[in-house]
Amino acid sequence: MRKTKLFTIAIFIIGGIVGLVFALGIAQFMYVTGDDKFCVACHIMEPMRDAYKNDIHGGNNKVGFKAECVSCHLPHDNIVKYTYQKAVNGVVEGAIMLFGHPEKFDWEARRKESKRYVYDSGCMHCHGDVKNVIADNMKAFLAHRDYFAKNIDKTCVECHEHVGHKNLGFHLRDKFGDLNTTK
Amino acid sequence: MLKKIILALTCITAMAFADGVGNVNLTKVIKVDRNLSPLAKKCIECHAEKTPGIVADWKSSRHAHASVSCMDCHAVPADSPMAIQKEHPKDSGNHVSILVSPKTCSKCHAKEVEEFQQSGHARGGVQMFAKKGMLELMYHYEGRDHPDLKDSPAATGCVQCHGLEIKLDKAGYPIPGKGWPNYGIGNAYPDGSVGSCKSCHSSHTFDIVEARKPSACASCHLGPDHPNIEIFNNSMHGKIFNTEGNKWKWDSAPDTWDVPDFRAPTCATCHMSGVNDLNTTHNVSVRLKWNLWAPHSKQRTGGFETAAFDYAKDGKLTAGNVLAGNPAGPEAARAEMKQVCKSCHSTKSTDSFFISGDMHVELYNNYHSEAKAMLDDLKAKGLLKADEWSDEFQRIYYHLWHHEGRRMRMGALMGGPDYAHWHGVFEVQQDIRKLKDIYDARIKSGKIE
Repeated sequence: MRKTKLFTIAIFIIGGIVGLVFALGIAQFMYVTGDDKFCVACHIMEPMRDAYKNDIHGGNNKVGFKAECVSCHLPHDNIVKYTYQKAVNGVVEGAIMLFGHPEKFDWEARRKESKRYVYDSGCMHCHGDVKNVIADNMKAFLAHRDYFAKNIDKTCVECHEHVGHKNLGFHLRDKFGDLNTTK
Repeated sequence: MLKKIILALTCITAMAFADGVGNVNLTKVIKVDRNLSPLAKKCIECHAEKTPGIVADWKSSRHAHASVSCMDCHAVPADSPMAIQKEHPKDSGNHVSILVSPKTCSKCHAKEVEEFQQSGHARGGVQMFAKKGMLELMYHYEGRDHPDLKDSPAATGCVQCHGLEIKLDKAGYPIPGKGWPNYGIGNAYPDGSVGSCKSCHSSHTFDIVEARKPSACASCHLGPDHPNIEIFNNSMHGKIFNTEGNKWKWDSAPDTWDVPDFRAPTCATCHMSGVNDLNTTHNVSVRLKWNLWAPHSKQRTGGFETAAFDYAKDGKLTAGNVLAGNPAGPEAARAEMKQVCKSCHSTKSTDSFFISGDMHVELYNNYHSEAKAMLDDLKAKGLLKADEWSDEFQRIYYHLWHHEGRRMRMGALMGGPDYAHWHGVFEVQQDIRKLKDIYDARIKSGKIE
């Protein structure tokens, strides 16, 4: 009887430790695989990284504050969706790198589809302030009123087209040449 | 076992939907400074000397009141298809565009731009350049295919109201001589957006009061082919506006502008305003039952206009959706228009007005069917000249639908009796007799006179 009790307690303690190590490991893994250093492991991402580094969102601002790749390119509504999308992207993009020819993509055309891979929940994670109707925020709120009132069916990047990557067009042209860019 | 699995699944599902579970990255909420940036102040200081009119306009505008500066509309990323290649101001690292497209306006006025692009206005520019007959008229018949001068009829005329596909030179400025600058309503911009907000809200005040007055529409909707401002002035609505419009309240907020701010409607009131239970709309086609402009008037069953969306997708110039109207159909469109009338008129008088109006449209169609049958027959028998502008039959046919027939139909449905009758059906009646004479002569002789 005493033995079983001890055993149960031991199971819980060991389980807790193992769980903690796993959780920290996963958290660390998520962290490490979320920034531009990891994403540019696939060299195809270099123009995106370079344009991002020049942008306000990439640290080119007064305080050096920056958003990571995943801050915009993964959904932030909850951790399950976040993890799921991260896994899907990892597998799909990995497969494209290994077996596809991303250097032949029309990247300019893909830029026009940015609402597919930039998530409003990511934007709102930091820019939730635009939603507040307070006196010193009216100018920001007014421009976004139709968005929050759902009078329009648009995502953040459909209006803020060039957000996140300054002059990406030039960087794409430098890497891939004019061949892969539309006008 | 099953119970446990269900419990586990329930827990996972609950977690998936629990909002905010797991704050994924712990950042503080960022607040953006919305005041005029130092660069924006620099624009204003310099342009107050260089182009004082522009700065004066802006100063008195709602935009200035809300700190929307030159930069917010004119600054573009260097890699933008709209950008002027040289930095402006010099060595600032900043790039501007001389053009401001609806896409720029839609950053703050997204609903208005979307509605506009769903309206017939949006195809104004691109449709002209998608139709062979129009191109021939502008460049061949009017421009005489002259190597240096053939662009002038379109550039000084058509494009000024319709708009054009604006192309930039290497330096990032619109190619001169093609029709820029203009106030055309359907410009297609290098960034893929179509339209022109400044057609009605002229720059740089972008005034709502200006757009609510008939003069906003009158700069294009006039003349022999669609004398809409003349019809309005002929109507009782126009008479009242011309008598006392200067005393009305013009600057009420959108959706609140209704009687008694005014005693008679303007163009904007009927076609756009949030009168009665209606919502304000920038889709001017959505309350229209018929396409009165067409050779043969059909009911507008086509849903939304498509031209702007096609252009945005792959830069294609199309004739658009000629039956664009209300997505719920022509009767729903008419019901919406009647709501406007009912702010001042009884249901009985509203219904009676439209019964007469619709009859006049169908009477026109009756004339047109006869004219078209003669035209088709002559064409089949080779009795039409290739140059339609030197063929008396085709000239009269054109005037029948494009000038007199439109006046007849629009006069009837906008309450302009002189246009419904003397400039309308009376002329159409004369046309059909002239057409008949020419038709009979050609059929009898087998030759073009």
